[in-house]
Amino acid sequence: MSTVDYKDRPVTVEKPIPVTYDLGNLAVFDSNVLDKNDFDSSNGEREKHIKDHTRDNVQLLINQILSLPMKTTTEATGGSSGQSSTMTLIQLPEPLTELPREKPLPKAKAPTKWEQFAAKKGIQPKAKTGKMIYDEASGEWVPKWGYKGANKKLDDQWLVEVDDDVKGTDKELIDPRTLNRQARKQLIKKNERQQKKNLRNSS
Amino acid sequence: MIRTVKPKNNRAKRALEKKEPKLVENVKKALFVPGQTSNKALHDVMVDLSALKKPDIKRFERKNNIRPFEDASQLEFFSEKNDTSLLVLATNSKKRKNNLTFVRTFGSKIYDMVELMIADNYKLFEDFKKQTINVGLKPMFAFQGAPFDNHPVYKQIKSYFLDFFRGEVTTLQDVAGLQHVISLTIAGDFQDGETLPNVLFRVYKLKTYRSDQGGSKLPRVELEEIGPRLDFKIGRIHTPTPDMVKEAHKRAKQLETKTVKNVERDLMGDKIGRIHMGKQDLGNLQTRKMKGLKSRFDQLASSEEGDDTYGEDFVTADDIQDRADDEPASKKPKY
Repeated sequence: MSTVDYKDRPVTVEKPIPVTYDLGNLAVFDSNVLDKNDFDSSNGEREKHIKDHTRDNVQLLINQILSLPMKTTTEATGGSSGQSSTMTLIQLPEPLTELPREKPLPKAKAPTKWEQFAAKKGIQPKAKTGKMIYDEASGEWVPKWGYKGANKKLDDQWLVEVDDDVKGTDKELIDPRTLNRQARKQLIKKNERQQKKNLRNSS
Repeated sequence: MIRTVKPKNNRAKRALEKKEPKLVENVKKALFVPGQTSNKALHDVMVDLSALKKPDIKRFERKNNIRPFEDASQLEFFSEKNDTSLLVLATNSKKRKNNLTFVRTFGSKIYDMVELMIADNYKLFEDFKKQTINVGLKPMFAFQGAPFDNHPVYKQIKSYFLDFFRGEVTTLQDVAGLQHVISLTIAGDFQDGETLPNVLFRVYKLKTYRSDQGGSKLPRVELEEIGPRLDFKIGRIHTPTPDMVKEAHKRAKQLETKTVKNVERDLMGDKIGRIHMGKQDLGNLQTRKMKGLKSRFDQLASSEEGDDTYGEDFVTADDIQDRADDEPASKKPKY
Protein backbone atom coordinates (compact mmCIF):
# COMPACT_ATOMS: atom_id res chain seq x y z
CA MET A 1 0.00 0.00 0.00
CA SER A 2 1.53 3.31 -0.96
CA THR A 3 1.50 6.24 1.40
CA VAL A 4 0.46 8.53 -1.41
CA ASP A 5 -3.17 7.46 -0.96
CA TYR A 6 -3.30 9.08 2.44
CA LYS A 7 -1.51 12.33 1.64
CA ASP A 8 -4.69 14.19 0.94
CA ARG A 9 -6.90 12.61 3.56
CA PRO A 10 -7.86 14.96 6.39
CA VAL A 11 -6.52 14.51 9.91
CA THR A 12 -9.39 16.36 11.54
CA VAL A 13 -12.86 15.07 12.31
CA GLU A 14 -16.04 17.05 12.83
CA LYS A 15 -18.53 15.74 15.41
CA PRO A 16 -21.91 17.27 16.33
CA ILE A 17 -21.23 16.66 20.01
CA PRO A 18 -17.55 17.03 20.88
CA VAL A 19 -16.05 13.82 22.24
CA THR A 20 -14.53 13.64 25.69
CA TYR A 21 -11.17 12.16 26.55
CA ASP A 22 -9.49 10.41 29.42
CA LEU A 23 -5.91 10.74 28.27
CA GLY A 24 -4.50 9.07 31.37
CA ASN A 25 -6.25 5.89 30.25
CA LEU A 26 -5.82 6.65 26.53
CA ALA A 27 -9.58 6.56 26.18
CA VAL A 28 -12.06 8.52 24.13
CA PHE A 29 -15.79 8.71 24.84
CA ASP A 30 -18.11 9.55 21.99
CA SER A 31 -21.69 10.26 22.99
CA ASN A 32 -23.02 11.12 19.54
CA VAL A 33 -26.23 9.51 18.32
CA LEU A 34 -25.70 6.12 16.70
CA ASP A 35 -28.12 4.92 14.07
CA LYS A 36 -29.61 1.55 14.92
CA ASN A 37 -29.74 0.41 11.32
CA ASP A 38 -26.03 0.97 10.87
CA PHE A 39 -25.26 -1.63 13.46
CA ASP A 40 -27.99 -4.15 12.69
CA SER A 41 -26.56 -7.59 12.12
CA SER A 42 -28.45 -7.87 8.82
CA ASN A 43 -26.68 -4.79 7.50
CA GLY A 44 -23.89 -5.76 5.15
CA GLU A 45 -22.03 -2.53 5.80
CA ARG A 46 -22.08 -3.05 9.56
CA GLU A 47 -18.43 -3.71 10.16
CA LYS A 48 -17.51 -0.79 7.97
CA HIS A 49 -19.71 1.54 10.03
CA ILE A 50 -18.14 0.38 13.28
CA LYS A 51 -14.68 0.73 11.85
CA ASP A 52 -15.35 4.20 10.47
CA HIS A 53 -16.79 5.41 13.75
CA THR A 54 -13.83 4.03 15.62
CA ARG A 55 -11.36 5.44 13.15
CA ASP A 56 -12.75 8.94 13.54
CA ASN A 57 -12.58 8.71 17.30
CA VAL A 58 -9.09 7.23 17.31
CA GLN A 59 -7.96 10.00 14.98
CA LEU A 60 -9.26 12.55 17.48
CA LEU A 61 -7.61 10.68 20.33
CA ILE A 62 -4.27 10.42 18.54
CA ASN A 63 -4.41 14.13 17.73
CA GLN A 64 -4.92 14.86 21.42
CA ILE A 65 -2.24 12.47 22.60
CA LEU A 66 0.38 13.74 20.20
CA SER A 67 -0.21 17.31 21.30
CA LEU A 68 0.70 16.43 24.89
CA PRO A 69 4.18 17.36 26.11
CA MET A 70 6.83 14.92 24.88
CA LYS A 71 10.11 13.79 26.25
CA THR A 72 12.86 12.18 24.23
CA THR A 73 15.22 9.84 26.00
CA THR A 74 18.13 7.82 24.79
CA GLU A 75 18.60 4.46 26.30
CA ALA A 76 21.21 1.84 25.63
CA THR A 77 19.64 -1.31 24.25
CA GLY A 78 22.42 -3.89 24.10
CA GLY A 79 25.02 -3.59 26.83
CA SER A 80 28.10 -4.72 24.87
CA SER A 81 27.05 -3.63 21.39
CA GLY A 82 27.08 0.02 22.42
CA GLN A 83 23.96 0.68 20.39
CA SER A 84 21.42 3.08 21.70
CA SER A 85 17.96 4.01 20.59
CA THR A 86 15.94 7.10 21.17
CA MET A 87 12.48 6.84 22.60
CA THR A 88 9.79 9.43 22.40
CA LEU A 89 7.70 9.38 25.54
CA ILE A 90 4.44 11.19 25.97
CA GLN A 91 3.71 12.65 29.35
CA LEU A 92 0.21 11.50 30.20
CA PRO A 93 -1.99 13.27 32.72
CA GLU A 94 -3.62 11.47 35.64
CA PRO A 95 -6.50 9.17 34.66
CA LEU A 96 -9.86 10.87 35.04
CA THR A 97 -12.17 7.87 35.16
CA GLU A 98 -12.53 6.64 38.72
CA LEU A 99 -12.10 2.91 38.92
CA PRO A 100 -12.46 0.82 42.05
CA ARG A 101 -9.36 -0.25 43.90
CA GLU A 102 -8.31 -3.88 43.95
CA LYS A 103 -7.99 -4.04 47.72
CA PRO A 104 -8.88 -1.67 50.53
CA LEU A 105 -6.38 1.00 51.55
CA PRO A 106 -3.61 -0.39 53.75
CA LYS A 107 -4.23 0.14 57.44
CA ALA A 108 -1.89 2.33 59.41
CA LYS A 109 0.55 0.50 61.67
CA ALA A 110 -0.77 0.19 65.23
CA PRO A 111 1.22 2.33 67.69
CA THR A 112 3.48 0.47 70.09
CA LYS A 113 3.00 0.74 73.82
CA TRP A 114 5.87 3.19 74.03
CA GLU A 115 4.43 5.31 71.22
CA GLN A 116 1.10 5.43 73.04
CA PHE A 117 2.80 6.46 76.24
CA ALA A 118 4.94 9.06 74.51
CA ALA A 119 1.89 10.55 72.81
CA LYS A 120 0.09 10.77 76.16
CA LYS A 121 3.02 12.45 77.87
CA GLY A 122 3.94 14.56 74.88
CA ILE A 123 7.42 13.10 74.52
CA GLN A 124 9.03 13.87 71.20
CA PRO A 125 11.05 11.14 69.48
CA LYS A 126 14.81 11.43 69.98
CA ALA A 127 16.81 12.86 67.14
CA LYS A 128 18.81 10.15 65.42
CA THR A 129 22.52 10.63 65.98
CA GLY A 130 23.81 7.71 63.97
CA LYS A 131 25.55 4.51 64.96
CA MET A 132 29.08 5.79 65.47
CA ILE A 133 30.34 7.50 68.60
CA TYR A 134 33.64 9.23 69.28
CA ASP A 135 35.91 7.39 71.70
CA GLU A 136 37.88 9.98 73.61
CA ALA A 137 40.43 7.51 74.97
CA SER A 138 41.57 6.08 71.66
CA GLY A 139 40.61 9.06 69.52
CA GLU A 140 38.63 6.93 67.08
CA TRP A 141 35.06 6.64 65.96
CA VAL A 142 33.59 3.34 67.18
CA PRO A 143 30.11 1.84 66.82
CA LYS A 144 27.79 2.28 69.79
CA TRP A 145 27.06 -1.43 69.76
CA GLY A 146 27.97 -4.54 67.81
CA TYR A 147 31.45 -5.67 66.81
CA LYS A 148 34.01 -3.63 68.77
CA GLY A 149 31.09 -1.64 70.13
CA ALA A 150 31.44 1.03 72.78
CA ASN A 151 29.15 -0.92 75.12
CA LYS A 152 31.70 -3.72 75.30
CA LYS A 153 34.48 -1.58 76.73
CA LEU A 154 34.75 -3.61 79.93
CA ASP A 155 35.28 -6.92 78.15
CA ASP A 156 38.95 -6.56 77.25
CA GLN A 157 40.23 -4.64 80.24
CA TRP A 158 42.74 -6.30 82.52
CA LEU A 159 41.48 -4.52 85.63
CA VAL A 160 37.83 -3.70 86.36
CA GLU A 161 36.44 -1.89 89.34
CA VAL A 162 33.61 -3.62 91.21
CA ASP A 163 30.43 -1.61 91.04
CA ASP A 164 29.13 -0.06 94.25
CA ASP A 165 25.69 -1.62 93.73
CA VAL A 166 27.15 -5.09 93.68
CA LYS A 167 29.27 -4.66 96.80
CA GLY A 168 28.03 -6.64 99.75
CA THR A 169 25.66 -8.83 97.67
CA ASP A 170 26.21 -12.41 96.54
CA LYS A 171 27.27 -11.15 93.12
CA GLU A 172 30.31 -9.48 94.51
CA LEU A 173 32.59 -12.36 93.65
CA ILE A 174 31.38 -12.78 90.05
CA ASP A 175 33.52 -11.28 87.31
CA PRO A 176 32.13 -7.78 86.53
CA ARG A 177 32.71 -8.44 82.84
CA THR A 178 30.31 -11.38 82.98
CA LEU A 179 27.76 -9.25 84.81
CA ASN A 180 28.04 -6.57 82.16
CA ARG A 181 27.51 -9.13 79.43
CA GLN A 182 24.50 -10.59 81.24
CA ALA A 183 22.94 -7.17 81.56
CA ARG A 184 23.30 -6.58 77.84
CA LYS A 185 21.78 -9.93 76.96
CA GLN A 186 18.87 -9.27 79.29
CA LEU A 187 18.16 -5.96 77.59
CA ILE A 188 17.96 -7.73 74.25
CA LYS A 189 15.57 -10.33 75.67
CA LYS A 190 13.41 -7.62 77.17
CA ASN A 191 13.22 -5.77 73.86
CA GLU A 192 12.21 -8.94 72.05
CA ARG A 193 9.47 -9.56 74.60
CA GLN A 194 8.14 -6.05 74.10
CA GLN A 195 8.21 -6.42 70.33
CA LYS A 196 6.23 -9.64 70.54
CA LYS A 197 3.70 -8.08 72.86
CA ASN A 198 3.22 -5.11 70.55
CA LEU A 199 2.76 -7.44 67.57
CA ARG A 200 0.17 -9.45 69.48
CA ASN A 201 -1.74 -6.34 70.51
CA SER A 202 -1.75 -4.86 67.03
CA SER A 203 -3.29 -7.87 65.28
CA MET B 1 -11.13 -17.20 53.72
CA ILE B 2 -7.81 -18.91 53.35
CA ARG B 3 -6.08 -20.05 56.49
CA THR B 4 -2.83 -18.16 56.68
CA VAL B 5 0.02 -19.41 58.78
CA LYS B 6 2.99 -17.36 59.81
CA PRO B 7 5.55 -17.60 57.00
CA LYS B 8 8.47 -19.82 57.90
CA ASN B 9 11.00 -18.43 55.46
CA ASN B 10 11.74 -15.18 53.74
CA ARG B 11 10.44 -16.24 50.35
CA ALA B 12 7.04 -17.11 51.77
CA LYS B 13 7.04 -13.86 53.69
CA ARG B 14 7.76 -11.85 50.54
CA ALA B 15 5.04 -13.72 48.67
CA LEU B 16 2.53 -12.82 51.37
CA GLU B 17 3.67 -9.21 51.44
CA LYS B 18 3.05 -8.98 47.71
CA LYS B 19 -0.57 -9.88 48.26
CA GLU B 20 -1.12 -7.28 50.96
CA PRO B 21 -3.05 -4.10 50.17
CA LYS B 22 -0.80 -1.45 48.71
CA LEU B 23 -1.02 2.29 48.56
CA VAL B 24 -0.21 2.36 44.85
CA GLU B 25 -1.71 -0.78 43.44
CA ASN B 26 -0.33 -3.25 40.95
CA VAL B 27 -2.08 -4.01 37.68
CA LYS B 28 -5.22 -6.03 38.31
CA LYS B 29 -4.75 -9.61 37.26
CA ALA B 30 -7.39 -11.59 35.45
CA LEU B 31 -8.35 -15.21 36.03
CA PHE B 32 -10.16 -17.16 33.33
CA VAL B 33 -12.29 -20.00 34.69
CA PRO B 34 -14.18 -22.44 32.46
CA GLY B 35 -17.52 -23.33 34.02
CA GLN B 36 -18.99 -26.81 34.11
CA THR B 37 -20.81 -26.21 30.83
CA SER B 38 -18.04 -24.40 28.99
CA ASN B 39 -17.37 -25.40 25.40
CA LYS B 40 -14.83 -25.06 22.64
CA ALA B 41 -16.11 -21.70 21.42
CA LEU B 42 -15.92 -20.17 24.87
CA HIS B 43 -12.49 -21.64 25.41
CA ASP B 44 -11.25 -20.04 22.19
CA VAL B 45 -12.74 -16.68 23.09
CA MET B 46 -11.15 -16.83 26.53
CA VAL B 47 -7.78 -17.62 25.01
CA ASP B 48 -8.09 -14.59 22.77
CA LEU B 49 -9.21 -12.28 25.56
CA SER B 50 -6.34 -13.49 27.72
CA ALA B 51 -3.94 -12.81 24.88
CA LEU B 52 -5.06 -9.18 24.95
CA LYS B 53 -4.62 -8.99 28.71
CA LYS B 54 -1.27 -10.78 28.87
CA PRO B 55 0.93 -10.90 30.93
CA ASP B 56 -1.40 -10.23 33.88
CA ILE B 57 -3.46 -13.35 33.50
CA LYS B 58 -4.03 -16.79 34.86
CA ARG B 59 -6.06 -19.35 33.01
CA PHE B 60 -7.64 -22.45 34.49
CA GLU B 61 -7.85 -25.51 32.29
CA ARG B 62 -10.30 -27.60 34.27
CA LYS B 63 -13.99 -26.98 34.51
CA ASN B 64 -15.50 -25.71 37.72
CA ASN B 65 -19.11 -26.04 38.70
CA ILE B 66 -19.86 -22.46 39.67
CA ARG B 67 -23.12 -20.54 39.47
CA PRO B 68 -21.96 -17.03 40.28
CA PHE B 69 -25.38 -15.45 40.74
CA GLU B 70 -26.42 -18.13 43.22
CA ASP B 71 -23.25 -18.72 45.17
CA ALA B 72 -20.12 -16.77 44.38
CA SER B 73 -18.06 -17.99 47.33
CA GLN B 74 -16.01 -20.25 45.08
CA LEU B 75 -15.08 -17.29 42.88
CA GLU B 76 -14.13 -15.26 45.93
CA PHE B 77 -11.89 -18.10 46.99
CA PHE B 78 -10.24 -18.23 43.57
CA SER B 79 -9.76 -14.48 43.65
CA GLU B 80 -8.04 -14.57 47.01
CA LYS B 81 -5.99 -17.63 46.34
CA ASN B 82 -4.65 -16.43 43.00
CA ASP B 83 -4.55 -12.75 43.89
CA THR B 84 -6.68 -11.91 40.87
CA SER B 85 -9.39 -9.32 41.20
CA LEU B 86 -10.78 -9.79 37.71
CA LEU B 87 -12.46 -13.09 36.89
CA VAL B 88 -14.07 -14.36 33.72
CA LEU B 89 -16.30 -17.40 33.99
CA ALA B 90 -17.50 -19.25 30.92
CA THR B 91 -20.82 -21.08 30.99
CA ASN B 92 -23.23 -22.26 28.38
CA SER B 93 -26.90 -23.17 28.66
CA LYS B 94 -30.04 -23.17 26.58
CA LYS B 95 -31.22 -19.95 28.18
CA ARG B 96 -27.84 -18.24 28.19
CA LYS B 97 -25.87 -19.39 25.23
CA ASN B 98 -22.10 -18.86 25.20
CA ASN B 99 -22.12 -16.78 28.29
CA LEU B 100 -19.13 -15.03 29.82
CA THR B 101 -19.57 -13.70 33.35
CA PHE B 102 -17.18 -10.83 34.00
CA VAL B 103 -16.57 -10.52 37.72
CA ARG B 104 -14.64 -7.91 39.66
CA THR B 105 -13.66 -8.36 43.27
CA PHE B 106 -12.69 -5.85 45.89
CA GLY B 107 -10.63 -7.19 48.75
CA SER B 108 -11.50 -10.68 47.48
CA LYS B 109 -15.23 -10.02 47.88
CA ILE B 110 -17.48 -9.82 44.84
CA TYR B 111 -17.68 -6.20 43.68
CA ASP B 112 -19.74 -6.43 40.53
CA MET B 113 -20.72 -8.98 37.88
CA VAL B 114 -21.91 -8.64 34.31
CA GLU B 115 -23.15 -11.47 32.12
CA LEU B 116 -22.29 -10.99 28.48
CA MET B 117 -23.48 -13.55 25.96
CA ILE B 118 -21.51 -13.93 22.79
CA ALA B 119 -23.53 -13.83 19.59
CA ASP B 120 -22.91 -16.50 16.98
CA ASN B 121 -21.13 -14.21 14.56
CA TYR B 122 -18.01 -14.01 16.70
CA LYS B 123 -14.57 -14.13 15.13
CA LEU B 124 -11.23 -14.94 16.70
CA PHE B 125 -7.67 -13.79 16.16
CA GLU B 126 -7.01 -16.56 13.70
CA ASP B 127 -9.94 -15.57 11.49
CA PHE B 128 -8.24 -12.35 10.55
CA LYS B 129 -5.21 -11.74 8.48
CA LYS B 130 -2.23 -12.56 10.64
CA GLN B 131 -1.68 -9.22 12.27
CA THR B 132 -0.14 -9.21 15.68
CA ILE B 133 0.67 -6.69 18.32
CA ASN B 134 3.30 -6.90 21.01
CA VAL B 135 2.41 -8.45 24.34
CA GLY B 136 1.65 -6.25 27.30
CA LEU B 137 1.05 -2.98 25.49
CA LYS B 138 -1.31 -0.39 26.88
CA PRO B 139 -4.31 -0.24 24.55
CA MET B 140 -6.30 2.79 23.54
CA PHE B 141 -10.03 2.75 24.11
CA ALA B 142 -12.89 4.11 22.08
CA PHE B 143 -16.32 4.00 23.69
CA GLN B 144 -19.09 4.86 21.29
CA GLY B 145 -22.63 5.55 22.37
CA ALA B 146 -24.22 8.01 24.79
CA PRO B 147 -25.45 5.27 27.18
CA PHE B 148 -21.84 4.67 28.21
CA ASP B 149 -22.13 8.00 29.99
CA ASN B 150 -25.63 7.89 31.40
CA HIS B 151 -27.05 4.35 31.55
CA PRO B 152 -26.01 2.47 34.73
CA VAL B 153 -25.58 -0.89 32.99
CA TYR B 154 -23.43 0.47 30.19
CA LYS B 155 -21.50 2.61 32.64
CA GLN B 156 -20.66 -0.53 34.55
CA ILE B 157 -19.57 -2.26 31.36
CA LYS B 158 -17.41 0.70 30.42
CA SER B 159 -15.83 0.78 33.85
CA TYR B 160 -15.24 -2.95 33.68
CA PHE B 161 -13.52 -3.04 30.32
CA LEU B 162 -11.44 0.02 31.11
CA ASP B 163 -10.35 -1.63 34.34
CA PHE B 164 -9.74 -4.96 32.63
CA PHE B 165 -7.55 -3.94 29.73
CA ARG B 166 -5.98 -0.63 30.71
CA GLY B 167 -2.82 -2.22 32.07
CA GLU B 168 -0.29 -0.23 33.98
CA VAL B 169 -1.12 3.32 34.97
CA THR B 170 1.80 5.36 33.80
CA THR B 171 2.71 8.97 33.29
CA LEU B 172 5.08 8.24 30.43
CA GLN B 173 3.80 6.46 27.34
CA ASP B 174 6.02 5.39 24.49
CA VAL B 175 4.73 6.62 21.14
CA ALA B 176 5.74 3.32 19.56
CA GLY B 177 3.53 1.55 22.11
CA LEU B 178 0.35 3.04 20.71
CA GLN B 179 -0.43 0.07 18.53
CA HIS B 180 -3.96 -1.10 19.07
CA VAL B 181 -7.34 0.20 20.06
CA ILE B 182 -10.18 -1.58 21.83
CA SER B 183 -13.46 -0.28 20.54
CA LEU B 184 -16.76 -0.77 22.33
CA THR B 185 -19.84 0.34 20.48
CA ILE B 186 -23.46 0.25 21.55
CA ALA B 187 -25.52 -1.06 18.67
CA GLY B 188 -27.77 1.93 18.23
CA ASP B 189 -29.61 4.18 20.64
CA PHE B 190 -32.68 3.00 22.51
CA GLN B 191 -35.64 4.21 24.50
CA ASP B 192 -36.49 3.21 28.07
CA GLY B 193 -38.24 -0.13 28.25
CA GLU B 194 -36.67 -1.51 25.11
CA THR B 195 -34.24 -4.40 25.35
CA LEU B 196 -30.70 -3.25 25.84
CA PRO B 197 -28.81 -3.23 22.55
CA ASN B 198 -25.68 -5.32 22.18
CA VAL B 199 -22.21 -4.10 22.94
CA LEU B 200 -19.87 -4.63 20.02
CA PHE B 201 -16.31 -5.46 20.99
CA ARG B 202 -13.71 -4.87 18.31
CA VAL B 203 -9.95 -4.65 18.38
CA TYR B 204 -8.07 -2.79 15.69
CA LYS B 205 -4.44 -2.27 14.93
CA LEU B 206 -3.40 1.26 14.15
CA LYS B 207 -1.73 2.26 10.93
CA THR B 208 -0.53 5.80 10.67
CA TYR B 209 0.30 7.65 7.48
CA ARG B 210 1.95 10.97 6.91
CA SER B 211 -0.64 13.46 5.83
CA ASP B 212 -0.09 16.82 4.22
CA GLN B 213 -2.87 18.40 6.18
CA GLY B 214 -1.60 17.33 9.56
CA GLY B 215 1.77 18.91 9.04
CA SER B 216 4.77 17.05 10.38
CA LYS B 217 3.14 16.23 13.66
CA LEU B 218 -0.30 14.73 13.16
CA PRO B 219 -0.61 11.57 11.10
CA ARG B 220 -3.61 10.16 9.29
CA VAL B 221 -4.88 7.14 11.22
CA GLU B 222 -6.25 4.04 9.54
CA LEU B 223 -7.41 0.88 11.28
CA GLU B 224 -7.15 -2.78 10.54
CA GLU B 225 -9.15 -5.31 12.51
CA ILE B 226 -7.13 -7.93 14.30
CA GLY B 227 -9.82 -9.58 16.39
CA PRO B 228 -11.38 -10.91 18.43
CA ARG B 229 -14.74 -9.68 17.16
CA LEU B 230 -17.41 -10.24 19.76
CA ASP B 231 -21.02 -9.05 19.96
CA PHE B 232 -22.06 -9.06 23.58
CA LYS B 233 -25.69 -9.47 24.59
CA ILE B 234 -26.25 -8.23 28.10
CA GLY B 235 -27.59 -10.73 30.63
CA ARG B 236 -27.84 -10.51 34.39
CA ILE B 237 -26.10 -7.76 36.31
CA HIS B 238 -24.85 -7.63 39.85
CA THR B 239 -24.19 -4.11 41.09
CA PRO B 240 -21.98 -3.28 44.06
CA THR B 241 -23.51 -2.02 47.30
CA PRO B 242 -23.09 1.73 47.90
CA ASP B 243 -20.89 1.03 50.93
CA MET B 244 -18.56 -1.06 48.85
CA VAL B 245 -18.43 1.54 46.09
CA LYS B 246 -17.47 4.18 48.64
CA GLU B 247 -14.83 1.97 50.19
CA ALA B 248 -13.38 0.96 46.83
CA HIS B 249 -13.09 4.51 45.55
CA LYS B 250 -11.32 5.89 48.60
CA ARG B 251 -8.13 7.66 47.73
CA ALA B 252 -5.04 7.64 49.84
CA LYS B 253 -4.40 10.95 51.56
CA GLN B 254 -0.65 10.44 51.32
CA LEU B 255 -0.80 10.40 47.53
CA GLU B 256 -2.65 13.66 47.12
CA THR B 257 -0.22 16.32 46.06
CA LYS B 258 -0.32 19.49 48.07
CA THR B 259 -0.28 22.63 45.99
CA VAL B 260 2.76 24.63 46.99
CA LYS B 261 2.05 28.33 46.90
CA ASN B 262 4.47 30.97 45.63
CA VAL B 263 7.13 28.52 44.51
CA GLU B 264 7.65 27.99 40.81
CA ARG B 265 10.27 26.98 38.33
CA ASP B 266 11.34 29.10 35.42
CA LEU B 267 12.35 27.97 31.94
CA MET B 268 15.87 27.13 33.03
CA GLY B 269 14.57 24.91 35.81
CA ASP B 270 15.60 27.31 38.56
CA LYS B 271 13.42 27.42 41.61
CA ILE B 272 11.85 30.78 42.23
CA GLY B 273 10.09 31.72 45.43
CA ARG B 274 7.85 34.70 45.97
CA ILE B 275 7.80 36.28 49.41
CA HIS B 276 5.06 38.60 50.59
CA MET B 277 6.56 41.12 53.02
CA GLY B 278 3.72 43.39 54.04
CA LYS B 279 4.04 47.19 53.85
CA GLN B 280 7.06 48.81 55.41
CA ASP B 281 6.38 51.56 57.95
CA LEU B 282 8.56 54.45 56.81
CA GLY B 283 7.66 56.48 59.88
CA ASN B 284 9.90 54.22 61.94
CA LEU B 285 12.80 54.43 59.53
CA GLN B 286 16.00 55.13 61.42
CA THR B 287 18.01 57.91 59.83
CA ARG B 288 20.39 60.30 61.62
CA LYS B 289 22.95 57.70 62.56
CA MET B 290 25.86 60.16 63.02
CA LYS B 291 26.23 62.48 65.97
CA GLY B 292 26.68 65.45 63.69
CA LEU B 293 23.37 64.80 62.04
CA LYS B 294 21.35 64.75 65.25
CA SER B 295 18.46 67.14 65.39
CA ARG B 296 19.95 69.24 68.14
CA PHE B 297 22.63 70.35 65.69
CA ASP B 298 19.98 71.46 63.21
CA GLN B 299 20.70 75.03 62.19
CA LEU B 300 17.28 76.55 62.55
CA ALA B 301 16.68 80.22 63.28
CA SER B 302 14.48 79.53 66.28
CA SER B 303 16.63 76.74 67.68
CA GLU B 304 17.46 77.22 71.34
CA GLU B 305 19.04 75.16 74.05
CA GLY B 306 16.73 72.54 75.48
CA ASP B 307 14.77 72.31 72.24
CA ASP B 308 16.92 69.50 70.98
CA THR B 309 14.31 66.80 70.80
CA TYR B 310 12.14 68.84 68.46
CA GLY B 311 11.36 67.00 65.27
CA GLU B 312 12.51 63.61 66.51
CA ASP B 313 10.09 60.75 66.48
CA PHE B 314 12.11 58.47 68.63
CA VAL B 315 14.67 58.49 71.36
CA THR B 316 17.67 56.21 71.29
CA ALA B 317 19.88 55.21 74.16
CA ASP B 318 22.63 57.44 72.78
CA ASP B 319 20.36 60.42 72.91
CA ILE B 320 19.52 59.87 76.53
CA GLN B 321 23.18 59.60 77.36
CA ASP B 322 23.99 62.74 75.35
CA ARG B 323 21.21 64.68 76.96
CA ALA B 324 22.39 63.68 80.43
CA ASP B 325 25.85 64.97 79.58
CA ASP B 326 24.55 68.27 78.29
CA GLU B 327 22.49 69.05 81.39
CA PRO B 328 23.78 71.97 83.47
CA ALA B 329 26.01 70.88 86.32
CA SER B 330 23.55 72.14 88.92
CA LYS B 331 20.96 69.56 87.84
CA LYS B 332 23.35 66.67 88.05
CA PRO B 333 23.12 64.57 91.15
CA LYS B 334 25.74 65.53 93.62
CA TYR B 335 28.08 62.95 94.96
